[in-house]
Parts: sequence; structure tokens; C-alpha cells
Amino acid sequence: MASLLSYVVRRILFAIPVFITVSVITFLITNAAGNPVDIVRLGLRNIQPSQLLYLQHYFHTDQPVYIRYFFWLSDLLQGNWGNSLYSGTVTSLVAPWIWTTLELQIPALLLSLAVGIPIGIYSAKHQYSKADATVTTTAIFGVSMPTFWLGVMLIILFSLNLHWLPSYGALSIEGYYIGGNIVIDGLAHLALPLFVLTFVSLAAIVRLTRANMLETLRQDFVLAARASGVSESRVTYRHALKNAITPVITVVGLSFGVALGGAPGLETTFSWPGLGYAFVLAAGKLDLPVIQAITMIITIMVLAANIITDLAYAYLDPRVRL
Amino acid sequence: MSEDKGKEYKRRSAGQWAVAWRRFKRNKSGLAGSAFVGAFFILAFYGLFAAPYPGRSFACLYQGCANLPPFQNWAHPLGTETSGIDVWSEIAHGAAGDLYVGVAATLISVVIGLLVGAVAGYRGGIAASLLLGLTQVFFVLPILIIILLFAKIFLFLVAAGLGLNLIVFALAIFGWPVIAFIARGEILRIRELEFVQASRALGASNTRILFRHIVPNMLSPIIVIASLSVAGNILTEVIISFLGFGDATASTWGNLLFDGFQYVRSSWWVSFFPGIAVVLCVLGFNLLGDGLSDALNPRLRE
Repeated sequence: MASLLSYVVRRILFAIPVFITVSVITFLITNAAGNPVDIVRLGLRNIQPSQLLYLQHYFHTDQPVYIRYFFWLSDLLQGNWGNSLYSGTVTSLVAPWIWTTLELQIPALLLSLAVGIPIGIYSAKHQYSKADATVTTTAIFGVSMPTFWLGVMLIILFSLNLHWLPSYGALSIEGYYIGGNIVIDGLAHLALPLFVLTFVSLAAIVRLTRANMLETLRQDFVLAARASGVSESRVTYRHALKNAITPVITVVGLSFGVALGGAPGLETTFSWPGLGYAFVLAAGKLDLPVIQAITMIITIMVLAANIITDLAYAYLDPRVRL
Repeated sequence: MSEDKGKEYKRRSAGQWAVAWRRFKRNKSGLAGSAFVGAFFILAFYGLFAAPYPGRSFACLYQGCANLPPFQNWAHPLGTETSGIDVWSEIAHGAAGDLYVGVAATLISVVIGLLVGAVAGYRGGIAASLLLGLTQVFFVLPILIIILLFAKIFLFLVAAGLGLNLIVFALAIFGWPVIAFIARGEILRIRELEFVQASRALGASNTRILFRHIVPNMLSPIIVIASLSVAGNILTEVIISFLGFGDATASTWGNLLFDGFQYVRSSWWVSFFPGIAVVLCVLGFNLLGDGLSDALNPRLRE
């Protein structure tokens, strides 16, 4: 147990340099994007010299870039994320976006794990059968598809032609809920984007589970277990699955990162008011504080998902802790 | 008699690549993948030299053939956009654009990745630890978001004549660390193998060991990754252009899908057909990569 604890501490300490490097990259890129003072000035008429000085002081543009980075980082760590260049404080804008993004990402992740691992096992156990051929073909189509395009196709079919499901946003306007109920309305809005995201993550998880299971089933210890008369289902679920599942768990963190990175495309397609859609809108009008905040939040989420999966991996596979 | 002996001396067992080719020929999905990839290269040449309309041409707007549905007028088999672009002709142009982006970005990242990976793997020390740290960062960096920002910031370079090359550079800059990581791992594995030790004992120089023994043996995983990376690069280009962060004047499938989304209520075909092209092309490179990986993997050799 002590080794697990020291592994946890080491893993978290290791995340710090990664976080700092990512913050430097984000800060430098957003600074190259433009000077916030100039962007604010575009929106103001007859700006007074005193106002200009105030703006320069507020954004620290009178300081060299590395000093500005430390101002920015210390503000970021203290939760003081400043104001949007357009309206509102970043914190109040970002909080609901985080929630709507997670409302889509976490159910999709859980669903694709719950469905993908059994399908992958079944497919590996019945290699070269018709079911296996169907699963592998569907899965490779799934990983070759732009996520948003599947969304557009479903919108054309289910929203524009059949009029079954809404294609826009996360909720209807109050008083116009579908089915007269906020829960039904939310689920109706969630259905299409959730299906798209689940399908795409599912494809990756099925492929990985199947490949790992096939490799494990070929190993000597499985042959030994079979030879000593252990039942086939026990060999599959007690002996092989435990060894095949650990790499799948590690990739969950990675695929969560990929799914979050793909959020701009998917969320824009469904006008889903989450971090990805907000990022596209903010990048369009160069709202630098919002862009920085969203990039850092997504990075922190991906880092956290990676740490959690690494810890799960260490818990499941004692060899990693050393 | 002496002639016969000479012949026998020349006979060699099948080489690594001959064996791989024999195995690849038997892999149906790998062959299907290469057929798809080949078909898209032909489509790209058709787009470059023989397509009925030039890239992003609004000719139909003036000829009265805008917003035609597909399969009705055989001059425009896949229909036209409201803005007058012929979908079939633009898909062919897009094949050229997307294959260029996918292949060029992959080539650049393979070259940089191999060089950095070779130095880090062979020399070790600070270079190796820096590379390891950097790949750690790249694994958690939301790369698509950073590339979108990058494309937005340097949008003025697109207008200044860089065009699609901006996306190529962005993809290459963020694509090489993965390849360097794999290259380093392969070098670390190969340089400890007996035959490398043997040639070192025979007095071979570092350069000779690196280029005669290590590089040929690490090529197979790199080829597989390169094929999968072309697929990934095409998908990323499609998302960048679909969100309107690319070169709006270039002919790419992403730009066509961007148009399609504007007209999604009236003209489904502008979204449908380019999407099918993307899926089949990316599928082709993925199948090719899987097939190559099976053919080149010595552990699966019978």
C-alpha cells in the first residue's frame, strides 16, 4: 500500500511541470494572437489618454512578456480570471460551459465503456465470425469518420426531415419545453450529440479491447489454464480479461482527451453551449481572456483524467507502481 | 558444375520486405485500403488536370445551374451549391488539397521525428529527457484547440500566399513528437540486439550502425504510424476548415463541408457527398496502416 501511495504522490508531482509547460504555450500563443488593449480600443470611440493608460496598466502591456506571464499565472492560480473583452467576468461565463460540456462528455464516456468492452470481448472470442466482421467493419468506419459530420447527417435525418429531435442547443426557451417537462426537453436535446460522441468513442474502445483480448488469449498462461481443465468462461473472464483490460483503462484517459479536443467540432454542429462551442465563438472575435481560460480548463481536465487513469492502472497492475 | 555452385551461392532466403509483401498480399482489408488510397490519388489527379470546373468556381451561379439536386443533370452528377459550386468537381479538387495536406504534414513530421528520436535514443542524456518531457506535454495538450488558435493567429499568412501550407506547418509542428517518441523507443530496443552488438564488436562506426542496422529495422513501425497519421491529418484539416479557421479560398473537403453546413436546410447533398469522400479516404489510410502493421509485425509471422 505504501508503494501505491508514493506512486500517487510521484504522479501528481510529475503533473506540475507538464501543467507549467502547457500554461507557457497557451500564454505565448494567445499573446501572439493580439494585444488586448488594441482589441478593446477597436470597440471604443474617442478613447482618452488616461483610459488608454488605465487599460495598459490593467492588462500589464507596459511590462515585458515574461513579467506578464507571471501576473497571468498567479491570477490564474488564485481563481482571478479577469473580464471578457466583451461582457461579463470570465469565471461567470465559463462555469455553465464546463457543466454543459461535462453533461455531454461523461455520459458518452461511461456509455461507450459499458457497451464497448463487452462487444470487444465478444468479437475477440468469436474471431472471424460474421458478428466479428460486422463489429470490426463498423468500428473502423467509426474511427474514420469526422465526428461533426455524423452529427450533420443525423441532424438532416432526424431534425430536418423527420422532425423527431431538436438540433440546436441544450434546452428550449422556458415555457416551450418539449413534452412540457424540463427533463424530457433536456434528454431530447442530448440524444443526438450523445449518440454521435458515444459512437465515435465506442469504435476506438471496441478496437482496442478486441486487439488486447486476442493477444492475451494467445499467451501461454491461457493455454496452461485451458489444459488444466478450467472452464472456457472462467478462462475468458477470470484469467484473460484481467490482463487485457488494463491497457484499455489507460487509453480511457487518452480518449477522454481526444473527445474533449474534438468538442469544438461537435458542439458547434449542435450549437451545444459548452466549452468547445464557446471556444470557437471566442476565437472568432479574439476574446483573449476567454480563450486562455477555456484552453487551460480543458488542459486541466485532460491532465486530471490522465492522472486518474494512471492511478487506476497502478491499482490494477502492481508492476506499474515500482 | 562450377556454374551450379556459383548459383547456389547466390541464392538467398526471402528478405524482410519480400516476406512483408507476401503477407500483405494475403491481407484483404489491407489490399482494400491500398485500393481506396490509390483511387483517391487518381481522383486527385483528375481534379488537378481534368475536372470540368476549376477549384471554387461559382460558374453555375451565372449559368443558371445553382442549387441543383444530385443525379438529375449529368453535367452535375452530385448536384451544385446555392453559391454555384459543382460538388463532384469540387470533391475532386478537394482530394488533391487534402491528400497534399495529409501527406506533406506527415512527411515533415516523420523527418523531424526521426532526427530528434534518433538523437535522443542513440545519445540519451539531456536530449532524451527533454524529448520524454515534451511528449508528455503533447499527450495532454488539447492539440486541436491549439492548432485552431495557431491557424487563427497566422490567418494573415494564408492571405499573404502561404495558403494551405499554414495547416501543413501547424499539423507538422504538433505531429512530430509522437513519431520521435516511437523512433526513440525503437532505437533503444534495436541497439541492444545481438546483431548490433556483433557489428560493434567487429569495429563498425556509430554512423554505420545507425544507418545500416538501426534505421532499416525501425522503418516498419514508422511506416505504419505514417499511414495512420495521414488519416489523422486529413481528419484534422477537415475540422479546421469546417469551423472556418482554414484557408477559405482553397479547395478542400473541409471547406465544402463548411459550405454544406450553411445550406444544411436546403441542400443535404453538399454535406453528404464530401463527407463520404472523407470517410472513404481516411478509412483507406487506416486499413492500409492496419494491413501494414499486420504484415510487418514479426511476432505474427507464421
